[in-house]
Amino acid sequence: MQQVLGEFIAALRQAGVAVSPVETLDALHAMQMVGVADRARLKLALGLVLAKSRQHKNLYGQLFEQYFRALGSGEDNAGGDRPEQLPAADAAGGDIAAIASPLGQLLLRDDAAGLSLAIADAARREGVRDIQVFTQKSRYSYAVLQRLGMDGLNRELNQLRGQTPGVAQQHVLALLQRRRQRLIDRVRDHVEQQYLLFAEQQGQRLQDDALQQIKLTHIDIQHYRRMTRLVQKAAKLLASQHGRRRKQARRGLLDVRKTIAANAAFDGVQFHTRWKSVRIDRPKLVAICDVSGSVSRVARFLLLFLYSLQDVLPRVRSFVFTSVLTEVTDCFRSSDVQAAVAEVLRQWGNMSTDYGRALTDLQAQLLGDIDRKTTVMMLGDARNNHGDGNVAVWQQVYRRSRRVIWLNPESRASWDSGDSIISQYAPYCSQLEPCNSLRDLTRILSRLLKYS
Amino acid sequence: MIIRHQEKVCSPQRLREGFEALGYICSDAIATAMYLACQLQKPILVEGPPGVGKTELAKKTAEYLAAPLIRLQCYEGLDEVKALYEWKYGKQLLYTQVLKDQLGDVLRGARGLEESVKRLHQFGDIFYSQAFLEARPLLQTLQAENGAILLVDEIDKADQEFEAFLLELLSDYQVSIPEIGTIKAKSVPIVLLTSNNTRELGDALKRRCLHLYIPFPEPALEDRIIAAQVPQIDRQLREQLIHFVDQLRGMALKKAPAISETIDWARALLLLNVESLDRPWVQGTLNLLLKYQEDIEVVEPELKRLLGP
Repeated sequence: MQQVLGEFIAALRQAGVAVSPVETLDALHAMQMVGVADRARLKLALGLVLAKSRQHKNLYGQLFEQYFRALGSGEDNAGGDRPEQLPAADAAGGDIAAIASPLGQLLLRDDAAGLSLAIADAARREGVRDIQVFTQKSRYSYAVLQRLGMDGLNRELNQLRGQTPGVAQQHVLALLQRRRQRLIDRVRDHVEQQYLLFAEQQGQRLQDDALQQIKLTHIDIQHYRRMTRLVQKAAKLLASQHGRRRKQARRGLLDVRKTIAANAAFDGVQFHTRWKSVRIDRPKLVAICDVSGSVSRVARFLLLFLYSLQDVLPRVRSFVFTSVLTEVTDCFRSSDVQAAVAEVLRQWGNMSTDYGRALTDLQAQLLGDIDRKTTVMMLGDARNNHGDGNVAVWQQVYRRSRRVIWLNPESRASWDSGDSIISQYAPYCSQLEPCNSLRDLTRILSRLLKYS
Repeated sequence: MIIRHQEKVCSPQRLREGFEALGYICSDAIATAMYLACQLQKPILVEGPPGVGKTELAKKTAEYLAAPLIRLQCYEGLDEVKALYEWKYGKQLLYTQVLKDQLGDVLRGARGLEESVKRLHQFGDIFYSQAFLEARPLLQTLQAENGAILLVDEIDKADQEFEAFLLELLSDYQVSIPEIGTIKAKSVPIVLLTSNNTRELGDALKRRCLHLYIPFPEPALEDRIIAAQVPQIDRQLREQLIHFVDQLRGMALKKAPAISETIDWARALLLLNVESLDRPWVQGTLNLLLKYQEDIEVVEPELKRLLGP
């Protein structure tokens, strides 16, 4: 039973439910307390110990059913084909003697429980649990069948076929062949279930890891959905990391006023000390995105990311431009983020870029609202079609704001090549970084939340 | 904890029946969780939407096991001074004032500072002894002779530091006080922590607890709860009412009505002598069920459809 539980916990970990060794021990104790006879109660009890958030509870529920169905499949099938008995055993007696291998015997007896035990055992010996990708399924099925002694069985069946055929022998042969086929199916099912339990998640995780690093500008349409999910997941992680701490004590600085107030009751004798602390403010963020050409793809993910961070970044204003600067904050609030991004790109994307014009607009619309508490985040490649960059405005933005972060989707090597004028803006940025993968985005936003 | 009536917690079934006798109708999950908590001596972290009976569970457990319930309400800024112990400063001050003369006697004739201090040392740390220690909920729990039920309510409202401070208590049932030393529980208490999920709790805390999620109840269970809480209500009206509330929970509301609200509503309908749910009555009493004007505005136009034929 311990081994079964151990494997189940391994499967849980694969699925992304972190189970610590202490919890494994607790699960064992819980199992001893409630027993294994009442399946529903066992499920409840293990759920209390192993799955500690709603999301994990759902995962746990699915896996529990999946896993224990895989274990119990042998017994389920057992009842099905009972009527199919061997014809009068003595009639075919001589030939049955030819079937001497253990596997053949099992098939002859149609011993369902014995067969599932044998399959499980063979699978364990062949290490089916280590299966990694779905292309390995047939290889593992083959290996398990070999381990079960399929070669021997085939040889015996051939022998039987070679002998003079009688009606009874024919019948036995046909029956055995049918059961052999069914055995093959069951082994395949078993391997399939093991794959689903132990590896499917892992395959997806490999893909997720790859997507984290891939250049956002190179992502196919077909990966958008998965990317969106990843962005939301990363945002949730950031939010939970930074949503908790609101106050940070400044060690060693006595708040005299509060200390005196707190001790007024003790005749001014200073029993309690009150220390100064700083509230960590939610940053006021202005995001400005170039949505021309290749930058638009990155802009899409940056905006998606920012709006998934609503919990910790409630005060985000967002603007997009190619030449005219437009505020899109409300557009995101009112409609679904995905749809909003698509709409913005349709309406404003693909015009010729003009940073000068955009910054003039910014001066008129936004500059007054930028104050000491505002962080300005610009996403753009600064490719200005050889126009005037209007750097003076950017300098003003830099002076007025708390921080200016410029994210450039191009790699450093191509900065300032061709019509890129990034070096003109560079002196007026507190932070200037290439940003072209989800990993970059996560890193930069994490720093933003930590230090602003 | 020393449970005087071991047989009361011998099986989840037994617990469930015991709770039912006290008017707390619970699901199998809740009974199993309480059972495991008693048997494995682990704290339970109870999560779920507001008003599904998280706090009530602790109260009923205390009643059922005839043990004292000690409650610690959490809020931002709660620290160990308020949760664990405090020195009785006032008493210390008063005593030093009153005993001034005697201290004078003790010190009379002592030459030099060193000798005075030496004399004072003979009397030990009188002013920092148990007599001057004000026990707050956590310390009270540990000192309870026959065990107690500790309810740490809305742990998610407390700061992260306090959560970390609780870890020692939750895993070893002991706390360390610098002036006195480590205080171990006289008998292991049953600890319940509740959370409304306003923030994600730390993994370290979760690891030490059983995790029970109480969702909104199934209609069948809620029917039994209402029947137990408001027994006078007519069966037909009760079914109508539960069906209506169940539909409301399926709608996109700011705050879906919880069990406590259903119970309030049922009581109100009983007081008003309503015999069957119709639109004017529902419209008039909807504010008992829904606590936001926006929600009421969402539901009102739908009333005809919700109440059905």
